[in-house]
Amino acid sequence: MRNTLAIAKKELSIYFTTPWAYVVFTAMLAISSFFFVALLQDFRQAHALARAYGWERLGPDYGAFKNLTDGVVVNLWNTIAVITLFVAPFLTMRLFAEERRNRTLELLLTLPVRPREIVLGKFLGGVGISSAALGVTIIYPITLALFGASESGQALEWSTVLLGYAGLLLWGATCISIGMFVSALTQSQMLAAILTFAVALVWWLLQGVVVSAEEPWRSIGTHLAFSAELSPLLRGVLDLKSVVFFLSVILFALLLTDRAVEAQRWT
Amino acid sequence: MAMIEVSHLTKRYRDRIAVDDLSFSVAKGEILGFLGPNGAGKTTTMRVLTGFLPASSGLVKVAGHDVFEEPLAVKRQIGYLPETPPLYPEMSVRGYLRFVATLRGVPRGQLAAELDRVGHATGTTEVMGRVIQNLSKGYRQRVGIAQALLGSPAVLILDEPTEGLDPIQRAEVRQLIRGLAGQHTVILSTHILPEVVMTCEKVLILHQGRLVAFDTLAALGKAEGSAESLEETFLRLTRAA
Repeated sequence: MRNTLAIAKKELSIYFTTPWAYVVFTAMLAISSFFFVALLQDFRQAHALARAYGWERLGPDYGAFKNLTDGVVVNLWNTIAVITLFVAPFLTMRLFAEERRNRTLELLLTLPVRPREIVLGKFLGGVGISSAALGVTIIYPITLALFGASESGQALEWSTVLLGYAGLLLWGATCISIGMFVSALTQSQMLAAILTFAVALVWWLLQGVVVSAEEPWRSIGTHLAFSAELSPLLRGVLDLKSVVFFLSVILFALLLTDRAVEAQRWT
Repeated sequence: MAMIEVSHLTKRYRDRIAVDDLSFSVAKGEILGFLGPNGAGKTTTMRVLTGFLPASSGLVKVAGHDVFEEPLAVKRQIGYLPETPPLYPEMSVRGYLRFVATLRGVPRGQLAAELDRVGHATGTTEVMGRVIQNLSKGYRQRVGIAQALLGSPAVLILDEPTEGLDPIQRAEVRQLIRGLAGQHTVILSTHILPEVVMTCEKVLILHQGRLVAFDTLAALGKAEGSAESLEETFLRLTRAA
């Protein structure tokens, strides 16, 4: 445990002593605020239309815009999930690839530390940085809660917002675990980033890929797609199946990483 | 008692044989000089000893533990300085040494004292607060040595420890290594022959992965009848094989 924490702490300190963390936080904030503002515009437009014609005549597409939680925050969480998909490979690419390139893996593997402690420590460090990057986006719902209004008292349904946020953190951890595994396979950080991105993106879009496929592939693809599993969580529905799905992906990726590190001892 | 026991160690990389049927042992407290031209298999042997690489065949035991079967038990006994000092350029020297010491199992309360001790021994006390990437090559090498000394491991495996140091620093490191004799078992690889004469009691010469000489310095010199210098022995053995 002490070893795991020491490694996690080292990873975090490297993220924060290099420009990495700050570049990622800035990118996260810049891109998400762009979408936040766009969503607020849509929201206002929908309400202006509703005042003129009434909600009934606008059709079901506008239903979500009735309140800030569904109209802005849930949409924003979905957008941030996609941004995470782009950002995570840049956070994970260095985890093992850099150690190989720097020859520091030789140090880690000759210290009295178990491979699984190394893997877990690096994963925790990665989750720390991804959660911090996602953490900065909590300012949007807080802004809404401070300045927003709704007909039924509170501006936001905090239970929905926070559950969606927890889903987002879980999604961040999933991306980190996949990226860490890919990083353990190569000594090129660039390759690790591109490969991680490719894997995560295809997995995310799987639903669209299998849309024209035959059964049972279609059902399988639909149920395995990241986007399909994540969307109920982001909507604030505590779907245990999705939680278990993401936790299994994380666990599987951790096991594979452990094997990849352990393989060093055999070849 | 033999601290390090290597018997019939062979290491193949695909079809290239890096180490071929190597056997030797090092007694507790001994300093063994590992010699050989570049590419002779010194680094590979050291990597196998530390458990970083597996042997293709043969048996390696450190302090009675098999390297492959009980890697953790072996790693607890070994301080290792690889060919390239394994440093994290972004970290400060103190942060780096604390990290390594923690993983070596130095208790939290003794970290500061342990850092002081190795800092003093390697002359890195004055750079403790600096970031590693800003250090000169000599200091990096010294931080690498400091790292290997943390936790006073029983066995020290040093791959070209004086590489990149100036003559004064070299002398200091030699002094340091000589001071380790008795309490630590040391394997030291180098291609600087005078260094071996000054620090080691026993010498092992590798050539193309094979052991060509393994004896005390005095015995090696006398082997050919006339008093031969280590350099002459080295040249004769690595040319002939």
